[in-house]
Amino acid sequence: MQKLLLTTVIAAGMVTAMPAIANDSLKIVEGDPLELTIQMNHARYPVYEESWPVEQQAREWTNVHLKDVTVGANIRNDENSGKTEALNLMLATGKIPDIVGSSRIKDFVNQYGPEGAFMPLNDLIEEHAPNMKKFFDEKPEIKSAVSAADGNMYYIPYLPDGKYGRAFWIRTDWLNKLGLDMPETFEDYEKVLRAFKTQDPNGNGEADEVPYFARQWPELIRLVTLWDGRSSGSDTYHDFMVQDGKIQHPYAGEGYREGIKNLARWYDEGLIDAEIFTRGSSARDFLLSENLGGSTHDWFASTSGYNRLSSEIDGFEFKAMAPPASISGKRVEEHRRIPIKPDGWAIGGTNKHPVETIKYFDFWFTEEGRRLANFGVEGMHYDMVDGKAIFKQEFLDAGPVNRSLYQVGSQLQGRGYFQDYGYEIQWSNEFALEGIKLYDEGDYLIDQFLGVAFNADEQKVYDRHWGSVRDYMLERQQSWVLGNGDVEAEWDDYTAQLDKLGLSKVIDVMNSAYARQYSQ
Amino acid sequence: MTSGSENKRSQNIPVAKRKRSLKSRLQWFADHVRNHWQIYLMLLPTIVWFMVFLYKPMYGLQIAFKDYSIFRGVANSPWVGWEHFQALFSNDQFIRAVSNTIKISALNLLFGFPAPIILALMFNEILHATYKRTAQTIVYLPHFISSVIIAGIVITAFSPSVGIVNTILGWFGIDSIYFLTKPEWFRPIFVGTGIWQEAGFGSIVFLAAIAGVSPSLYESAVVDGASRWQMMWRITLPSILPTIIIMLIIRIGNIMEVSFELIILLYQPATYSTADVVNTFVFRQGLQNGQYDFAAAAGLFNAVVAFVLVMIANTLARRYSRTSLW
Repeated sequence: MQKLLLTTVIAAGMVTAMPAIANDSLKIVEGDPLELTIQMNHARYPVYEESWPVEQQAREWTNVHLKDVTVGANIRNDENSGKTEALNLMLATGKIPDIVGSSRIKDFVNQYGPEGAFMPLNDLIEEHAPNMKKFFDEKPEIKSAVSAADGNMYYIPYLPDGKYGRAFWIRTDWLNKLGLDMPETFEDYEKVLRAFKTQDPNGNGEADEVPYFARQWPELIRLVTLWDGRSSGSDTYHDFMVQDGKIQHPYAGEGYREGIKNLARWYDEGLIDAEIFTRGSSARDFLLSENLGGSTHDWFASTSGYNRLSSEIDGFEFKAMAPPASISGKRVEEHRRIPIKPDGWAIGGTNKHPVETIKYFDFWFTEEGRRLANFGVEGMHYDMVDGKAIFKQEFLDAGPVNRSLYQVGSQLQGRGYFQDYGYEIQWSNEFALEGIKLYDEGDYLIDQFLGVAFNADEQKVYDRHWGSVRDYMLERQQSWVLGNGDVEAEWDDYTAQLDKLGLSKVIDVMNSAYARQYSQ
Repeated sequence: MTSGSENKRSQNIPVAKRKRSLKSRLQWFADHVRNHWQIYLMLLPTIVWFMVFLYKPMYGLQIAFKDYSIFRGVANSPWVGWEHFQALFSNDQFIRAVSNTIKISALNLLFGFPAPIILALMFNEILHATYKRTAQTIVYLPHFISSVIIAGIVITAFSPSVGIVNTILGWFGIDSIYFLTKPEWFRPIFVGTGIWQEAGFGSIVFLAAIAGVSPSLYESAVVDGASRWQMMWRITLPSILPTIIIMLIIRIGNIMEVSFELIILLYQPATYSTADVVNTFVFRQGLQNGQYDFAAAAGLFNAVVAFVLVMIANTLARRYSRTSLW
């Protein structure tokens, strides 16, 4: 790091229009550029574009040129199952590109890596990637979290920075209008939602308000935290969680049962969007701009942006609210940014240039590489001001900054890099920053389950049973909330059926994998 | 190229002689193809289509008996015998999916099969030509709309807040129902949508059959003083019965193949109990959870059941009506 810093200082001392001098230290191959093939399909962008300014800059610095050969590109960005399908398709063609980057790549490489489809990276990192080695040595939990059952690392993860993801949001102007205080407990929250439903805060004379809504229906299940239940152990919906050093599933716990019972009551009373299961991703946009939605649980940056509606809806104010205290008085925000994503990139098993490739991966952990991965190209998208990358004003004004960055080749989930939260803070509005401050003061976040890597036998048990168990859980969950069944009366049957479908077997293999992976 | 005279000669060999040896039979077939090559050429695309899309994939069916890894490939994955089938039949969700498939198909057969026949008979009774053609075009149209759009229309029509169905129910003082999350409503909505979409297009084949009925039959019936109702009942229906039976056999062969694209678009975990069919089960377990071997076993089972059903239907049809596929 010291040496790198020095190069940057030297580079900064030079005239910025003369980058060639700093670049030689980044060069990986001499002479003709080395061409490597890449499959890159992830939630933010479906393919790898050779015309991206970021790719061109990286090519100039490293003399490594990536060539897109993505198969099965899946442009849907609201789900991840399509990304796994693309990976499976790629493998089925029998040709594995030199580099494979994707969302949800972890389970895939950990399953097929040991069979030879991907290269183990441990020795390569040790010998050829000083920047990554230093980074991983400082954060040993990364290695435990991404390693396969054989102890090898098969991919370099995308590592998000910053802690906060989702928060509770509420129409504070409605609260003022009805003379209500910001809800502090789950009981207050219920009263507020009921008031939204019955006291006509939008003033159109109809009880058409939708007190609680969500773009993703599992955000409704998130509310079981108000009754000390859990809806997921990580930032993936319906995931396992760690409790007292053991892995459990939140949907088999007492708090969940209590929570679902109450959510069914809320649903019946109309406190929850009647169409929450079918409204889909446009729910937030539609319900807020029609002046109907009261409260939700959604991302800081994008949700705070809706305050622009104040120009159309008189008094519109949508602010973050601290998580209401649960039945036992705990204030918990279950969602947070996971520090290590199951996304990133890996080296194909047939790659002829593993050393150059790992050096290329290492480039993205250098200071220049990390800035390139986070902010785009200097002089084009950002300028250095007092040693910090500051976006150019015209770039900030050009629309949602994250989307603009994806389009120039930055902030790619299919690339292994360490995110810099500094990128996001520059375009978060005052409402988001105020909300983050509120959540910072309250310290509501809880630790997340970072996933396990199975050996072949464990994988078999998991594959065989988990799909059925999960289907059954979600089926009962929706039925109970919708009032098609009664959680209290059916709970014993439910747990018996979960056991019959193999939940305990899945939990057992989860625990054996967990013990192996995290006990060292 | 051999000379034409030789071909002619070999064609004239009597049937009994032709069956004499394999070699001469092959010779006869080669000559036959040479003489009628235009017809065989027209058959070729269909044969290629069958080979590429139906026969070649059969090679992959073996993964139903293997521990399949995409990386190792079909040939190199180890055999596991009946393991996947055992797992399948000990899985309650699969059993339920089979039962749902049969129930939905039975409803489809009961209501969806007669619908185009009735429609065709009704069109046949319309005398005003322009009106008839307009009405036909209108009922054909839904067939050409993609399932995704159909699902969108259905979701909107049955929405509890803005849907036309609940709006109409509201006029009669009935509280709005969130139809698409109620398991008991799924099958009626799905079958009804299918009829709406396909009945018109399906009626074409029956209309064609009706057009083939000899007009002299109707003329003599008129002379005998038969009413329109009697003519339909005694002439039209019996005349198109062979067509109906063939269509029925084909339909029975497809009994395990409900149009699952529409189900995937319409179902929710809340309605799995009535909506989850074998194909959606295969989709979730196989494609989404990556268990290709297990899903192949489910698909193979499905195909075997469908095959048995076709055999039964064909045998029954041959025995009782002398009309059959083969």
